Amino acid sequence: MIPSSLAVIVATAALTLLAAAALAWAWWRGYFDDLDAQSRVIFEPRDWRLERPWESPVDRLERETTYGAPIAPAPGEWGGAA
Amino acid sequence: MTAPQSPQGAGGAAAPAASAVGAAPALRGLAPDDLEIRLRADESSRVVVLVLYAVAIGWLLVGSIFGDIASFKLHWPDFLTRQGWLTFGRVRTAHLHAVNYGWATAALIGTSVWLLPRLVHTELKGALTALLGGVLFTIGITVGIVGVLLGVNDGMEWLEANRYAAGPFLVIGGGLVGLSLFRTVAARRAQHLYVSVWYILGAFIWFPMLYVVGKWPTWSGVESAAVNWFFAHNVLGFWLTAMSVGAAYYFIPKVLGRPIYSYQLSVIGFWSLALFYSLNGMHHLVGGPIPTWMVTTSIVASVFMFIPVVATGINLHMTVVGRFGALRHSPTLRFVVLGAIAYTAVSLQGSFTALREVNRVTHFTHWTVAHSHVGGYAFVSFVAFGAMYYVVPRLVGHEWPSVRLVRWHFNTVLAGIAIYVIALTWSGVAQGLALLDARLPFQVSVERSIPGLYGRSLGGLILTVGHLIFAYHFWLMVRMPRGATRRTLPPFHEAQPILYTAEADAARRGAPAPAGASAQRRAEGTA
Repeated sequence: MIPSSLAVIVATAALTLLAAAALAWAWWRGYFDDLDAQSRVIFEPRDWRLERPWESPVDRLERETTYGAPIAPAPGEWGGAA
Repeated sequence: MTAPQSPQGAGGAAAPAASAVGAAPALRGLAPDDLEIRLRADESSRVVVLVLYAVAIGWLLVGSIFGDIASFKLHWPDFLTRQGWLTFGRVRTAHLHAVNYGWATAALIGTSVWLLPRLVHTELKGALTALLGGVLFTIGITVGIVGVLLGVNDGMEWLEANRYAAGPFLVIGGGLVGLSLFRTVAARRAQHLYVSVWYILGAFIWFPMLYVVGKWPTWSGVESAAVNWFFAHNVLGFWLTAMSVGAAYYFIPKVLGRPIYSYQLSVIGFWSLALFYSLNGMHHLVGGPIPTWMVTTSIVASVFMFIPVVATGINLHMTVVGRFGALRHSPTLRFVVLGAIAYTAVSLQGSFTALREVNRVTHFTHWTVAHSHVGGYAFVSFVAFGAMYYVVPRLVGHEWPSVRLVRWHFNTVLAGIAIYVIALTWSGVAQGLALLDARLPFQVSVERSIPGLYGRSLGGLILTVGHLIFAYHFWLMVRMPRGATRRTLPPFHEAQPILYTAEADAARRGAPAPAGASAQRRAEGTA
């Protein structure tokens, strides 16, 4: 007799095994190499230099020293009419 | 209301920006190729995303009205009782479908369609396919909700939309959107896959599997209940949560201009979710007629969810720590950060609620409704609102027309959901304790929950007002005078004048690059 829990057990096992296989594949393909670079993939050079009104003078100076003179943000730069 | 931005507004920083370029020769903005890719990425997803957002907002309004009607009925039982399609069972189900599949799903798919080409540095492949998919998905939702209102449904919570009438539209529509996204990733130019890509791709792999299992026509009896909660719980974690967390991982660092606190933690968070979340659903059946070991395993897995939740929570919150002032400047950040806080809160609350001792009080009470609204609204919807505030201006080429409407929207939905959740949580505990007291008649548990139900209706009404404000603002945004809505050059503040090149402009228009543009750019130091 097929237990009432079989469907959920099979489906759960399939999802877990699929995830495990994907994890192994990603590891093998090197998708976890150089995580620091991955964390910066969403940024363009312009992002580092935008003048952010909430930054402290120290933060601003640090950013300027590292990335160069600041760029003025465009209207609505931060998403929505602020 | 402030005046709409002129097309020239986005280019207002041309002079200082140009001088800034000269001061920093090592960082001169996007390379021409990158800019061209960016322009094409945004352009390729533009129509699909705008259509999905418009559909989502439409369903948000419909779902809000259904939700209010259902809420009123709980304390005014004689409200709208003459028509069968307005009875509680149908209206409440229509509300759930409209907000979860119509609003949240469409909004998050739209956000994913916009994000993915940017994240993998290519244009959206098969935009027409994705558009067709979005249209079919919308038809499926409409058919499903109309069916529910007419009394035709499949009798499983979260899966009521009829499998034969609505199912094909949902499956084919979702499949076409997914196909477009996978083709886009396959054609990627980015060397690295950002964590948001994992979340989005995961969502589009998990959801079809869940849907097929949930809609398989042979389930019955206890097996049906188990499958029901397998689907209903996993659709939150593997679909809505996955796309929302993926979006939060993009918007928070992007606006703040700093990478997330710990990328390693984000990887751990994603893979622990992928590996262990699917075990969670059975905690909804504590005390139910299914094997005890399944429930216990599910409770253990629910507590295990501390790992991805804490990893994600630490990451998103620590990225913002020290920069909370940014919330005053960025509506996107305001919504997404609050959404991230709600994610942490609702996940930890869920883990505790799964414990038998807590579940004993909260099960079958309004607590569960409050909990689901923290997840479905304070987390998912807030992230969707924040994403829309960021994405839409970049698609239509001008800023949101009114600061005041953004503030009203934020304040009303925040107040509404706070009232809603506090009232129902309190009401749920009072109800649960009364239900457990054998000396009290059942009627007492109902009477004790009624004040909370009034609070729920009040909160729901305020939310509806907020949604009307947002919908009106979106309508203003997309119908602004043609001169203002015309896509400006350079495109809205993603490509600043210093990043703008005549070649990229020509590429965007599909025209040959003007002669001498490269030489001029080299002379200006922007090559």
